[in-house]
Amino acid sequence: MVGKEVERLLLKVQKPGRYVGGELNSVIKDKRKVDLRFAFCFPDTYEVGMSHLGMKILYSLFNSVEYIWCERVFAPWVDMEEEMIKHGIPLYALESGDPISDFDFIGFTLQYELSYTNMLNMLKLGGVPVKSADRTELKNIVVAGGPCACNPEPVADFIDLFFIGEGEEVDLEVMELFRKCRAEGKSKAEFLRLSANIEGVYVPSLYDVEYNEDGTIKSFVPKDGAPAVIRKRLMKKMDESFYPDNFVVPLVEIVHDRAVQEIFRGCIRGCRFCQAGFIYRPVREKSPDTINSQCRALCQNTGYDEVSLSSLSSSDYSRIVPLLEKLTSWTGEEKVSISLPSLRVDGFTDEIMNKIKTVRKSGLTFAPEAGSQRMRDVINKNVRQDELMNTCATAFAGGWTTVKLYFMIGLPTETMDDVADIANLGQAVVDTYYRTPNRAKGKSVRVTVSASSFVPKPFTPFQWEPQDTIPVLHEKQQHIKDSITSKKIQFNYHDADTSYLEAVFARGDRRLCKAMELACERGFHFDGWNDCFSLEKWLEIFDECGIDPAFYANRRRSFDEILPWDHIDYGVTKSFLKKECERAYNSQTTPHCRLKCSGCGAAKYGEGVCFEKRENLV
Amino acid sequence: MKNVRIWFKKDYECRYISHLDLNRTMLRALHKSRIPIWHTEGFNPHPFATFPLPLSLGFRGVNECMDVKLEQDDYSFEEIISKLNECLPRGIRVFDVTEAVMKAGKVAYASFTVRLSDPNTPSKTICLQLEELLSQPSIELQKKSKKGIKTVDIKPGIREYSVKENFDDAQLDIMLSAGSSNNVNPSLIIDALRNAAGVEYYADITRNDLFNSDMEPFR
Repeated sequence: MVGKEVERLLLKVQKPGRYVGGELNSVIKDKRKVDLRFAFCFPDTYEVGMSHLGMKILYSLFNSVEYIWCERVFAPWVDMEEEMIKHGIPLYALESGDPISDFDFIGFTLQYELSYTNMLNMLKLGGVPVKSADRTELKNIVVAGGPCACNPEPVADFIDLFFIGEGEEVDLEVMELFRKCRAEGKSKAEFLRLSANIEGVYVPSLYDVEYNEDGTIKSFVPKDGAPAVIRKRLMKKMDESFYPDNFVVPLVEIVHDRAVQEIFRGCIRGCRFCQAGFIYRPVREKSPDTINSQCRALCQNTGYDEVSLSSLSSSDYSRIVPLLEKLTSWTGEEKVSISLPSLRVDGFTDEIMNKIKTVRKSGLTFAPEAGSQRMRDVINKNVRQDELMNTCATAFAGGWTTVKLYFMIGLPTETMDDVADIANLGQAVVDTYYRTPNRAKGKSVRVTVSASSFVPKPFTPFQWEPQDTIPVLHEKQQHIKDSITSKKIQFNYHDADTSYLEAVFARGDRRLCKAMELACERGFHFDGWNDCFSLEKWLEIFDECGIDPAFYANRRRSFDEILPWDHIDYGVTKSFLKKECERAYNSQTTPHCRLKCSGCGAAKYGEGVCFEKRENLV
Repeated sequence: MKNVRIWFKKDYECRYISHLDLNRTMLRALHKSRIPIWHTEGFNPHPFATFPLPLSLGFRGVNECMDVKLEQDDYSFEEIISKLNECLPRGIRVFDVTEAVMKAGKVAYASFTVRLSDPNTPSKTICLQLEELLSQPSIELQKKSKKGIKTVDIKPGIREYSVKENFDDAQLDIMLSAGSSNNVNPSLIIDALRNAAGVEYYADITRNDLFNSDMEPFR
């Protein structure tokens, strides 16, 4: 419940419903009766953060523990931020309205690099010192997790401890340890030292880094008994893993305003640019029965009439048709529609199409990622042009008339011909439409071609690759534009400036913390939003700090170099990534996990797809 | 099939949601409650609900209503109240269900309580400013519409009113014309006051009741 001072500001800002809490299913506890208060912070707006599944899972899980009260905190939009500063109102949590400085834990989920400044800004708005070293007491422990925690170094000075991998177990273990440490009167330093012994916990202050003269890392040494390698945590049995039967139902419309049902974690494919495809290995599925009952409970408890099946590649769910049969046995009656995002080009069959069509016809989106076959082999996309055309023909015959195609430019080994093939592929889809005999009568086709700029990410076979410079990316964008002749094709591209900053942060090291701190002092926020982002201002900061951003973004790294994230273990070995990188140079594809095991290293967890029977093999 | 009118209060956190968001919240609650409501029969069937008079974002509503079609004529009204309240956020409370006596289009007036305050202005001053403004023969305002800016006189839309000085605010109770034509939003009075006094007061606005053209309570 927000206070009177806040209420007085609410009518001056856009969408005040974002700042008041009070939603159906939000958890209210008596703060005098809980031992531990956790402020779960999403470093972006309410609409974005409330759409995030990981937060929903952990919010429900934490609150299922009697002694913990977990509340939600989002970044206020710029108008609200201004009012809060003007009136001296610190950043508060939505459930209690209490400032985040009242909380034992302040946790951030790091979903994308461009939200780092929001994270620091939120601490600042909450009146919490941004640097870990300046928070000396055993309170306001700042923790972070999520995919960007796989390279924690650019924010290492600010975070007390990182959760590496999936949080369902390790987060609770750390909170339990905190409770014990506080009861025993231990110091923050002692608590951090002890927590470093929990698997999946990384305490950056317990490591010393030295650099070579050329700027690369010379050594990375643990101290005070911290482990040399930090292993990720993961949930082995998805059917037994916690899943909420209830979501907080927002009062205002959010980005993904529907129930979300996770169907599996990980991805069998191994597309070489995709970080998620490697860090969440191995693939672990939920059974159709589990999904079906969780899904039904969720719809009943929230009142949502739409449920989205969530995974990295829904058509790769091994029992997709039986699952859809189970779900459609009640969704029609209960007037619930199912949406199936993240469909692969080769996974859109008649059978799936008919099942989706019975409920709701949404737009179709496919991600061929590259225009030419050679390029798709380099990135291991394993999709052929004829497959895409067959899929589109199926969709067109089924009445669809709009298709969105996602591509990347700036991929390793890419030539201008590969880039032009993006436009050609779009044209081929248009041609396919007019060749499809039973297409929608009297309607025109619309093909949207979107090109984002490739950002090399840690824990992928391309982690050593340079990113194309901004001028080269601009040239490639222009080349696609020039190669499109049809008016049926709409071309969008992603701003290269933001991709450049993303590349700097993604593979940065601890020396970037200085720049982050300065950015925070200067009030940077919402770097992921075009209205706030300025590369120019960032370049000024890098310059003042003596940092060369090209060193991180545009430099080809040697296979022997110590990478800033080498001390973190996600199961996939460096030698496997190196082998995959070399195969990419030779345009060699690698079969997916269900066809053949390629020995990535994830089998060591003893679960998931690595131990499935491969029916396709003779 | 029976037309019923569901009466509710919109307050606390839910004061800050727009009419569109209220609509979405209500539809979701109706869906969750499983009350046998008539659904639209299009491609995406959803419960059908209409609101006789939308409430502006930021206003409290103590006697708000929404019309639905009940598929079971004998379905208990008490059941609707209790089931819906279980499915709604705490800021929206259903307190009555009645038959829809008057047609939605019959709404002609609405009564409001407006409480104005400012840390640097005594309530008495605000009261005097209000009295002065409202006693003018006409109150003209620039109103933005799709066709551009036009000047409107809101005075004809003001029926009776009273101004009262409270300990920490100035209270205006006012009856304004409402409905699809000649609707006067009380925020226009705040705007006019700002134009006249040069101060933006904090306004806590509550809509109390709706009336038909004969000044009978809307039922």
